[in-house]
Amino acid sequence: MSDRKIVKVCCGTGCLANGSGVLFEKLLEKSKIKGDFAVDILVKSTGCNGLCEKGPLIKIEPDGITYCKVKLSDIDEIYEKTILKGEAIERLLFSDSSGKKTKSHKDTEFYKRQVKLALRNIGEIDPTCIEDYIERDGYKAIYKALFEMTPEDIIKEVEKSKIRGRGGAGFLTYRKWMGAKKVDSFPKYVVCNGDEGDPGAFMDRSVMEGDPHSIIEGMIICARYLDSHKGYIYIRDEYGLAIKNMKAAIEDAKNHGYLGKNILGSGFDFDIEIVRGGGAFVCGESTALMSSIEGKVGEPRAKYIHSNEKGLWGQPTVLNNVETWANIPLIILKGGEWFAGYGTENSKGTKVFSLVGKVKNTGLVEVPMGTTLRELIFDIGGGIIGNKKFKAVQTGGPSGGCIPEGLLDLKVDFDTLTEAGSMMGSGGMIVMDERTCMVDVARYYIKFLSEESCGKCAPCREGIKRMLEILTDICEGRGKEGDIELLEEICSMVESAALCGLGKTAPNPVMTTLKYFKDEYIEHIENKRCPAGVCKNLTTFFIDSEKCVGCGLCRKNCPADCISGEIKKPHFIDASKCIKCGSCIENCRFSAVKVK
Amino acid sequence: MIIKIDGKECTAQKGEYLLSIARRNGIEIPTLCHSDALPGIGSCRLCIVEVVEKGRSRVVTSCIFPVMGEIEVLTNSKKIRNMRKTLLMLYLARVPENEKIKKLAEEYGAVVPERFSADKSEDCILCGLCVKACESLGSSAISTVNRGVTKKVSTPYDEPSKECIGCGSCAYVCPTNAMKIKEKDGIRTIWNKDFKLIKCEKCGEYFATKEQIEYINKKKGFNLEDEMLCDKCKKKKAGERLKEVFEDYRE
Repeated sequence: MSDRKIVKVCCGTGCLANGSGVLFEKLLEKSKIKGDFAVDILVKSTGCNGLCEKGPLIKIEPDGITYCKVKLSDIDEIYEKTILKGEAIERLLFSDSSGKKTKSHKDTEFYKRQVKLALRNIGEIDPTCIEDYIERDGYKAIYKALFEMTPEDIIKEVEKSKIRGRGGAGFLTYRKWMGAKKVDSFPKYVVCNGDEGDPGAFMDRSVMEGDPHSIIEGMIICARYLDSHKGYIYIRDEYGLAIKNMKAAIEDAKNHGYLGKNILGSGFDFDIEIVRGGGAFVCGESTALMSSIEGKVGEPRAKYIHSNEKGLWGQPTVLNNVETWANIPLIILKGGEWFAGYGTENSKGTKVFSLVGKVKNTGLVEVPMGTTLRELIFDIGGGIIGNKKFKAVQTGGPSGGCIPEGLLDLKVDFDTLTEAGSMMGSGGMIVMDERTCMVDVARYYIKFLSEESCGKCAPCREGIKRMLEILTDICEGRGKEGDIELLEEICSMVESAALCGLGKTAPNPVMTTLKYFKDEYIEHIENKRCPAGVCKNLTTFFIDSEKCVGCGLCRKNCPADCISGEIKKPHFIDASKCIKCGSCIENCRFSAVKVK
Repeated sequence: MIIKIDGKECTAQKGEYLLSIARRNGIEIPTLCHSDALPGIGSCRLCIVEVVEKGRSRVVTSCIFPVMGEIEVLTNSKKIRNMRKTLLMLYLARVPENEKIKKLAEEYGAVVPERFSADKSEDCILCGLCVKACESLGSSAISTVNRGVTKKVSTPYDEPSKECIGCGSCAYVCPTNAMKIKEKDGIRTIWNKDFKLIKCEKCGEYFATKEQIEYINKKKGFNLEDEMLCDKCKKKKAGERLKEVFEDYRE
């Protein structure tokens, strides 16, 4: 019998962008070569493995070998040595910052601390192949839900799991479902929110691209509980691959009898339709999303009457986030208590984060709730790029907040993040180093929100507009006495008086930076100086002649030709010609370039 | 059900909106985007009040807040007044010359900081009441366009709308008189479109646009050949007819 090798090529968005599509084609071609060797090769394209920083990734099983940053020119060697002979190529193995090589990705610090529940199949299966999903216990939970469990049994398991909605607000999922069940009005709807729009977030995208059936299965289970026959998956239109894979998965599920009329002969009908978003961030807000599905302008409404009573077309509607749906089949299959074994007292299970910014191992990670920020950023993330100093981590998307170094040991869950003035959001985590200006960060997020607020209610629309005016002025050197107080006044009004969640949380970036980094604001306003050297009008770079060794790196990299100096002698910056791009400070290895 | 608003006991029905209960009881809450004839929008946020329930206080929008239990309401607490003051400051910064907003801002002591730029010709506060009125009438000729700080009210692509009947309901409901309607020589201009005005056959006053009358006739199934009368003359005619019938009956 021949030896079977499975070659998994990561075709998540990050790896695809780095050319993994071509690698996959080439390997597929190679696998078809007939020779007298006793190896049977199966090449698969998988969803995102998470370690986007090191992509394209290729895994070879059963040898358990993972290759990083693979190039097309490496393929022949991989085929000859690893696939045919089982030898590892040292050069392509994962290497950490100390240069230590690791054969399998599973043994790296990045993966070792993770617990993959929602991401259980991603990177392991071909998302376009329903058999791959079924092989890993896929669709087993719906057999259980349809034939062995009553609707009451289903809700009991979800209740025991204590899972809270992964979309951001963290509402207890079972309560949401029960609320919709109680209302005696049909039809009822099941909706999946896949309108992930936070800058730097790609959790939901990866699940939709890499394991679409887990979402479908979760929705079927809820539909069975509610006796709902129609579901919608709302996906932002920019997510082309997610839409494609989700569509194919729905078709496959229909062909296999998991969706449509009389599911698996149970007499229960349920169908799912995909709705493509129109590119508005606010449509991630549940009521705006429903309005958009109905074909109306995507504006939120007040939630005094919850969507689970009156949602889509005024009917009871359960809307959950992609990640929540992906967890449901596991909860049904392994039990709510098992799920509740992970996490903290009030936040059970795991959470997927997209770890981005100035961190070494950029990527998608899933950890138990209660993991500290320090573990996430320094152990899993490998610390800050260029060994610079950590400054803050921004969680929860544009309307989240910036958490300072002093809170690095915070055990991350829904409640601790809210207490710190930020929020869980859908799980974006942007790491910032000492070269980040916190006033500029607040300005950036408020700018984003000024474009993405729906503009329906005055506090959010007018408040954001004026906050942006003030923040831009501060960053450009026109800050005035009283600006901080004015910002605080507007923030506190918007936070209570805005109509929806987006508006109520919109002041967070300003409030947290004011809370933790007020001295930076004061420096900008009073001394017209940006300590991080980011705001151009308020920055002057100079070279500390005692620290400069005269390596010339800054001079070579300066795009404005404003640095002079002889090799091995201190260099100088001509401030009149400097364009303040920061290239010198980024490149200096001796911390000789400073901000005046 | 009895609820307490600013210390006063008020009877309320379950599901009734807080604003209408307050107004019925003579308690004034400021609003801009509210009209009794149209469904609540909740966009101007001026009608925010504090609701105390089970010892916990929260801020709600009274025009769309349905009363479901026995609550205590504070419509004019210091916290609420401060929030309205900040909000009115932002409104005034948007429409610095608008009389209605100027008056409200003065009432709450709101002053615009010098640093804020403003367009002095602007009167629209984007409450969306005009859009709701147009939608309720069935023509949906105008809508809010764009989002965020660039939001505005307009017809599709700012072009003269096929659906607009020139009825002027948008202007009628506007709380800040922001709608620009021009009437000259029997022509009404609104939303970049000219409408021919119809004269009342009796008094000779212009009273409606041709499109408006056609729209009403079509909707109500009236005969197009009917006499064209303005509201005043129509009422007068109906009164005269009633008088005739009454006199006939007496005879």
